[in-house]
Amino acid sequence: MRKGPTAMPELTSRRGMLFGTAAVGAGVLLSGCTSNESDDEPASNDQPAADDKPGKPVTIGFAGPQADHGWLNAINDNAKSRAKKYKDVTLEITEGSNDTAQQIGQIETLINKKVDVLVVLPADGKALTQVGLQAMRAGIPVVNLDRIFNSPQAYRCWIGGDNYGMGLNAGHYIGEKLKNKKNARVIELAGLDNLELTKQRTQGFDAALKNYPNIKKVARQAAEFTVESGQAKMSQLLQAQSKFDALWNHDDDQGVGALRAIDQAGRDDFLMVGGAGALSAFQAIKQDDGVLKATVLYPPTMAASAIDLARALGQGKGVGGLAEFEIPSSLTLYSAVVDKDNVDQYMSTGFK
Amino acid sequence: MTQPVSPPRDDTPKVSPVEGPSQWRTLAARADVRTLSLLGVLAALILIGGITKPDEFLDTRNLQLVLTQASVIGVVTVGMTFVITSGGIDLSVGAIVALASVWATTVATQEYGFAGILFTAVIVGVGCGLVNGLLIAYGGMVPFIATLAMFASARGLALQITDGKTQIVTVEGVLDLGGRDAYILGIPPLVMVFALVTVIGWLLLNRTTFGRRSVAVGGNAEAARLAGIDVRRQRLYLYLLSGLCCGVAAFLLIVLSGSGQNTNGNLYELDAIAAAIIGGTLLSGGRGTITGSVLGVLIFTTITNIFALNNLQSDVQQIAKGAIIVAAVLVQRRTASTT
Amino acid sequence: MAPEPPLLTMSGITKSFPGVRALDGVDLDVQTGEVHCLLGQNGAGKSTLIKVLAGAHQPDDGTISWRGEQVTLRSPIAAMRLGIATIYQELDLVEGLSVAENVYLGHEPTAAGFVVRGKDARASTAALLKRLGHSEIDPGRLVGDLSAAQQQIVSMARALSHDVRLIVMDEPSAALDPDEVDNLFRIVGDLTDEGVAVVYISHRLEEIRRIGDCVTVLKDGRAVAGGLPAKSTPTREVVALMTGRNVEYVFPDRPEHQDLPDPVLEVQGLAREGEFAPLDLTLRPGEIVGLAGLVGSGRSEILETIYGARKPTAGQVRVDGRPLRPGSVRAAVRAGLGLAPEERKAQALLMLESVTRNVSVSSMSRFSYGGWLDRGAEREAAHQATRELSLRPDNPSVPVRTLSGGNQQKAVLARWLLRGCRVLLLDEPTRGVDVGARAELYAVIRRLADDGLAVLLVSSEVPEVLGLADRVLVLREGHVVHTAPARELDEHRVLDLVMEGTPAS
Repeated sequence: MRKGPTAMPELTSRRGMLFGTAAVGAGVLLSGCTSNESDDEPASNDQPAADDKPGKPVTIGFAGPQADHGWLNAINDNAKSRAKKYKDVTLEITEGSNDTAQQIGQIETLINKKVDVLVVLPADGKALTQVGLQAMRAGIPVVNLDRIFNSPQAYRCWIGGDNYGMGLNAGHYIGEKLKNKKNARVIELAGLDNLELTKQRTQGFDAALKNYPNIKKVARQAAEFTVESGQAKMSQLLQAQSKFDALWNHDDDQGVGALRAIDQAGRDDFLMVGGAGALSAFQAIKQDDGVLKATVLYPPTMAASAIDLARALGQGKGVGGLAEFEIPSSLTLYSAVVDKDNVDQYMSTGFK
Repeated sequence: MTQPVSPPRDDTPKVSPVEGPSQWRTLAARADVRTLSLLGVLAALILIGGITKPDEFLDTRNLQLVLTQASVIGVVTVGMTFVITSGGIDLSVGAIVALASVWATTVATQEYGFAGILFTAVIVGVGCGLVNGLLIAYGGMVPFIATLAMFASARGLALQITDGKTQIVTVEGVLDLGGRDAYILGIPPLVMVFALVTVIGWLLLNRTTFGRRSVAVGGNAEAARLAGIDVRRQRLYLYLLSGLCCGVAAFLLIVLSGSGQNTNGNLYELDAIAAAIIGGTLLSGGRGTITGSVLGVLIFTTITNIFALNNLQSDVQQIAKGAIIVAAVLVQRRTASTT
Repeated sequence: MAPEPPLLTMSGITKSFPGVRALDGVDLDVQTGEVHCLLGQNGAGKSTLIKVLAGAHQPDDGTISWRGEQVTLRSPIAAMRLGIATIYQELDLVEGLSVAENVYLGHEPTAAGFVVRGKDARASTAALLKRLGHSEIDPGRLVGDLSAAQQQIVSMARALSHDVRLIVMDEPSAALDPDEVDNLFRIVGDLTDEGVAVVYISHRLEEIRRIGDCVTVLKDGRAVAGGLPAKSTPTREVVALMTGRNVEYVFPDRPEHQDLPDPVLEVQGLAREGEFAPLDLTLRPGEIVGLAGLVGSGRSEILETIYGARKPTAGQVRVDGRPLRPGSVRAAVRAGLGLAPEERKAQALLMLESVTRNVSVSSMSRFSYGGWLDRGAEREAAHQATRELSLRPDNPSVPVRTLSGGNQQKAVLARWLLRGCRVLLLDEPTRGVDVGARAELYAVIRRLADDGLAVLLVSSEVPEVLGLADRVLVLREGHVVHTAPARELDEHRVLDLVMEGTPAS
């Protein structure tokens, strides 16, 4: 159920890195990683991958957490189907596990099998740092997916989402929509509060709202990324706030519950922005018959990109569209806002 | 060996003044003190809510909201109260709710409509309870371990069924039941179910041989066995009952959230145990109170409600919840030891 | 006795609990090297007094002097530091630890302050056990594997592992066989020879006569007599002090049975391997049959096997000629058997419940319609049963735990009376029952028999079996060594039989 890095100490500096802003268009920063990729279509599974020409065969080991949440499930699917696209890629995928010890064991097994590149989405980034170091020392480059290791020495390349950016973009979207409204009131339905990513999303949201002096955040409650908690917390928020203009909900899964509560309370006098990019949210945005008008991405396609990066690393190639010879050490993805205008483009990346 | 010597008939027990003829009054008073102290806590909470948020808190809609939110965990707690009273524990309630709610909301089940969903939720709950009961009563497993195993397997199975995906309910009848239009005389159907389960639970515990046997098994299983009670069968029934309550709760949750998810019922086991314990049910068994358990649930739900209305964050809520558990148990120990 | 100030002087000790004044100005003087006996009925305040002495309770009023100096015993550790050790009736040993670990629990010999020197502990434990005459106990064994008597020795070794000047023993002989009691007395003698004082609590007057120097009698929280000579004070006087009245021996008259009806209970070749040998027994309505034997002779096991609480390895039990399903308590209860087990609190009573609920628990279906209880009828019937047994207080709504031992036993009997049971199995029916209350219990049991119940009685107190039963089976190590009408036996014959196994002609 957790998504995103459980800890991201170097977040601010990472966000400042050039790649986040260098991205062209919406969606994933780098849809492909090898040479001559100029297409700025998002990397979804049915997109032709860049440089499909078979190169040197690469075996990629993939270790992720247990897919007990739609987003994590989508991560696995993205990785698998991306790998299938390349004739020169063999994917060694482990049974997902939330148990740190078990995941360490699985990664050690992959190291012993001498895979060429490792892609790791750790259950707990801090706790798996050692095994990342171990792989790097054994000469296996590690692509660290989303939840970041403690030490930059433990990975060759980090790729992940931008929680602060999610909040920021959600805030700006709402800010623009309410720009002309006096004394606008906004509420926030946050995710699980003991995760750092929830705090980052809230900080980004607050920072964006500072640009709009006419808007005030009047309430915030934390749900638990579940439908059940989303329904419970949202119904309380609706009872507490008889009038408000916009709602940002951190997570589309708990958003199912939030929408249920809104429906039960018979309220439709505000606009709602979601988070993450679930299929059900995309569909609702497309239909445009409810309060949900947009959602901010935390794209699971990053797993496909991670496979691209791993393949490029294995074949010793660089990133297309950039002057650099080497793969960057860090890639922060852009948290695009999906609304009615661009939802069709993203529909295929929506997860269930 | 001594010769037992004895005076002629006189067996006046050495009792203190309070243990004299007015004992029944003390006993009644003790039960009352416990319930009254809970009612006092609830009244204090209502006062706090009324002062801090008079418009939002003291509102029919809010009363409906609080009672609705209490319904799901409330039904689970009634079942848990029986299990704890009998000296057992059921750590699998949350997982059973999750499993029942996802099983009942698969595409295949939803084809059978309202009845299919209700039936499946109840049957899955009862089935899990049956497995728990058989393992504990006839397999000789410790309740803690058996239900912990069920906790793990039911959650695992729920994950396998959903593949981590949220299952949206499309059956109109089920969805409508959770909406405002379904209220009867202003009472949400969920709350009616909760009230019904509470009344049945109270009668079952206090007015039937089943309840009496549950208390006897919890108070002293060996004595119950030697008194001719079928302790094992009683245990089986108790876990079945808990499973049944979980099944009903799962259905209520489906109605409420309009979906089934493998993360449903998260930490229900702890919430239900906490509510039962602060209500006055002995964790060691032998004494249980449905009234207390329901008051415990209402206290927790009201706290959550007041905190949310005042926009206090979850860290503060959790601290307050912990403090209230400790305070309630301490107050009870005090009242129990002075009477 | 030494001319110096007494080792211990307690004066005016008062202790109240909510609603109870447990001690009311108790005085107690203990001299160095003496055995000072404490006598009193249950609830007289003995336990509270020794808990004050052990530092477990703080007195509300009164002073304690230790070797002439006033002290405050703030905690059990403080008492232990002075040299006061207490051996409680309910042994407070940790079953999962070894003998040596138990003996040195809390004051382990250590190296560098925290590393336990297990070898040293075992060596000194072995020395202590030798001193206690039990060098056969291995200091490395788990306490849980030892017999009750051996555990008591370990408890004593623990007391002696401190630099002890006063040992308090709370009914140390209760769980012991006669030869174990002799050993206990030898140890007490050795201790007093070394100048250690012993405060000895017992119900058994003969023990007090054997080893006591003086006696303090407690009654209702007061010391009604202090420092009486233990050997020469007449029994009548002591008992009068304890009960506040003169006493007489009291077994109900044994009726002359002419033509007893056919047997209601027939036991044929019933056996459990390793516990008791094949046993034959018949029990007729109106008859009380006693089983006499030492602890470990298989008495309780026989009762529990007949009752179905244990599964026999051979033989069968018939009630009214119909065989009972072996190993099923429910079958036994349905057939009309009832058991009043040895450990009343652990095996029979629901301590949190009222008398009514304790009495009705085996007969609930009689007051229920489809599982629905008629509580009025239940209360009425339970009240009637308890009234028939003169259970006091005459109020079945009181919690059973507030009753005295004798009345708790009556509640158990009332349970079977209400059930309409026809065979009553009594295991140590007067254990934990005040001396004063026993007579009434005996009368109740006899009256039940006269009303047509068949009673099978087990007791470790030979006079009780001889006084109450019509017929007696003498058991030794799981074998019936003798059967005879009670009137043809006396205590010495029975003790010879149980110890020697030689049936006298």
